[in-house]
Amino acid sequence: MIQDMWSMLIERKDFFIELLLEHLGISLVSILIAILLGGVIGIIISEIKKTAKPVLGIINFLYTIPSISLLGFLIPFSGVGNTTAIIALTIYALLPMVRNTYTGITHVDGAILEAAKGMGSTRMQILYKIKLPLAMPIIMSGIRNMVTMTIALAGIASFIGAGGLGVAIYRGITTNNAAMTMAGSLLIALLALVMDIGLGMIEKRINKRHIKTKKKKRILIAAIVVLCLSIASAILINQQQQDTIHIATKPMTEQYILGEMLDILIEQDTDLNVELTQGVGGGTSNIQPAMESGEFDMYPEYTGTGWNMVLKHDGLYTEDLFDELESQYNTQFQMQWVGMYGFNNTYGLVVRREIAEKYNLQTYSDLKPIAKNLVFGAEYDFFEREDGYEALCETYGLDFERTMDMDIGLKYQAINQGEIDVMVIFTTDGQLSTSDVVVLEDDKHFYPSYICGNVIRTEVLDQHPELQAVLEKFDHLITDQDMAAMNYAVESEGQEPRDVAYDFLRSQNLLK
Amino acid sequence: MKTVIEFKNIKKAYDDHVIIDGFNLSIKKGEFITIIGSSGCGKTTVLKMVNGLIQPTSGDIFVDGENIRDKNQTRLRRNIGYAIQGSVLFPHMTVEQNIAYVPSLLNKRDKTKTKAAVSKWMHIVGLPEDLKQRYPFELSGGQQQRVGIARALAASPDILLMDEPFGAVDEITREQLQTELKQIHEQTGITVLFVTHDISEALKLGTKVLVMNHGKIEQFTSPENLLQHPATEFVKKLVKKERRMCHLPEEQLSSCDYSGAGEKGHLDKE
Repeated sequence: MIQDMWSMLIERKDFFIELLLEHLGISLVSILIAILLGGVIGIIISEIKKTAKPVLGIINFLYTIPSISLLGFLIPFSGVGNTTAIIALTIYALLPMVRNTYTGITHVDGAILEAAKGMGSTRMQILYKIKLPLAMPIIMSGIRNMVTMTIALAGIASFIGAGGLGVAIYRGITTNNAAMTMAGSLLIALLALVMDIGLGMIEKRINKRHIKTKKKKRILIAAIVVLCLSIASAILINQQQQDTIHIATKPMTEQYILGEMLDILIEQDTDLNVELTQGVGGGTSNIQPAMESGEFDMYPEYTGTGWNMVLKHDGLYTEDLFDELESQYNTQFQMQWVGMYGFNNTYGLVVRREIAEKYNLQTYSDLKPIAKNLVFGAEYDFFEREDGYEALCETYGLDFERTMDMDIGLKYQAINQGEIDVMVIFTTDGQLSTSDVVVLEDDKHFYPSYICGNVIRTEVLDQHPELQAVLEKFDHLITDQDMAAMNYAVESEGQEPRDVAYDFLRSQNLLK
Repeated sequence: MKTVIEFKNIKKAYDDHVIIDGFNLSIKKGEFITIIGSSGCGKTTVLKMVNGLIQPTSGDIFVDGENIRDKNQTRLRRNIGYAIQGSVLFPHMTVEQNIAYVPSLLNKRDKTKTKAAVSKWMHIVGLPEDLKQRYPFELSGGQQQRVGIARALAASPDILLMDEPFGAVDEITREQLQTELKQIHEQTGITVLFVTHDISEALKLGTKVLVMNHGKIEQFTSPENLLQHPATEFVKKLVKKERRMCHLPEEQLSSCDYSGAGEKGHLDKE
């Protein structure tokens, strides 16, 4: 395993270096904002004592919000991507910064302050000549804690489509690639460690009272600030290139592959640049709002999901309704469906083979008498959707012992380990062929059709009409079996989504 | 002589607790006033009212003929030197930065002038130049006091307020500091208010001694007069021991019964 990880780190050096820099960038921007903002808040509440209690209360409260829900909460306001990640990280970083600044300043010896006042210092002079320098050791230790925490926490940011090493972790989990997950985690830990050691050295220097270090101190601090700013601006400028198509994908292996295919073909056939945000956590619920706000230009979606989740229609979607689907997308969101891949990734139910054999289960209806003894697993989405868990249970009269929310990437592991008995699968799941499970028959035709196609904003299509031709190349290109095979290649054979995408496009003679 | 500080009908109370009441005092230019009294008698309060660190509940204080209520407190304080108990140097600043603190608040641009002032005052208080770059924790107790005095004097104020500045140093160092302070006073003609709880210090340094008890003035007079004519029981008790001290040349010490150097005492021990 460690061997795998090591060879992956070396092979995909550029990929990891890019993620590492992005991780560092996101963290540093958050840290800098938190130092400035938290420092100012800390100073204000220590100068105006009345404000201390309510302000610390609010910041404490923000700190207790679980990071996942804070990220989810921020998406409607600031969309997906780095901005939201930076806001969330800054909020968490505020507490240690504000509290340590406040503690540092309020613990300065009263006699020293009276001496300074008695000698005719103004309030501001006391603050920056006496209070801040004397509070600096406590503020520095706060910064040190906060930096380590922020770097670690930034790993979660990829959940909402931000960059950084979390991308490697999340992609590793989603595509069943443990080495990648470990490599990402290890690099985060290393980064945090290196930053902590560096700050420890700076801290020691600042606390040392010796005249010779004074000048160096200033140069050191100035150098650090300049470095942080340049890394941060490099990242931010990088993101604002012209004529870029922002493509999002859901955290599913096949979407990673589709994303790569879109990237390859669009960049090959047009002058456009593609910015691919792979595996946006929460899938449609986070991507659709970002499409509406124009952060993303297109993403692969499934017709049934669009009908039930985006257009919020009740009832079963069949392909007869496709014209209706298209026209409603057009009028409600000014978006179009272009390039229908052809495969149908619908839901299916599987049970562990031993259970299927024990009870002779063949159809969904067979589950009814024994459901109360079985644990049902599905990804978060499934419990929220109109056509999800509740509708399934209602149609077939099922009442499971309990349910488990789990990430798409982890559920096969869960069923193979016997943690769950029944689970929802996709008909193109690569791991389906390697798991010891039985696919049951949807005897009441509960599941709708989920044909995969690209949803693209009409505005983007108008600006770049050349996209139309590229996307139409994908029409009826991929069958269910093709997709499952590609998923298997990534999830079980450990191939890279991009390589699999290349191979497939080459086999279809689409590469120049 | 001109009056530099004047207290008129001062009352200071915290809620119902009256610390000072009906306090009147006028201090002439160039005087060295030592203020002595039991702890909690309000002597530090009187001192801190001069530079506005404590505001009187009622009554007025005049510095150079101006009511300090009408003055900019910051500017007022910059013209009054202030040295407090244990000297309280700024621990994150060097000796030079500590001494230059007030001048740097006053004339930020003129660094050469500030540097010259630092050197001058270090010399006057008897600090060697090579201590300039040291931090307070690297100094002895006596050196710290000297830095404290130099810092209070660095901007050449007309008034110097000192609140038990020599409280934390050993006997020998205190003697030296007292002598030096007296010399500085004589050389500069600065008006000094000096709070102490040590009657011998008060008598040695002061041109006038202010004895306070429970927020009231017991007596305000020259040291000689205080010893010769103590006005109240409180003052009598305070100076009782000092009255019986002998300041005689070495060869006559044996004739003093109270100093412990007398023959009788000497014989008793043998």
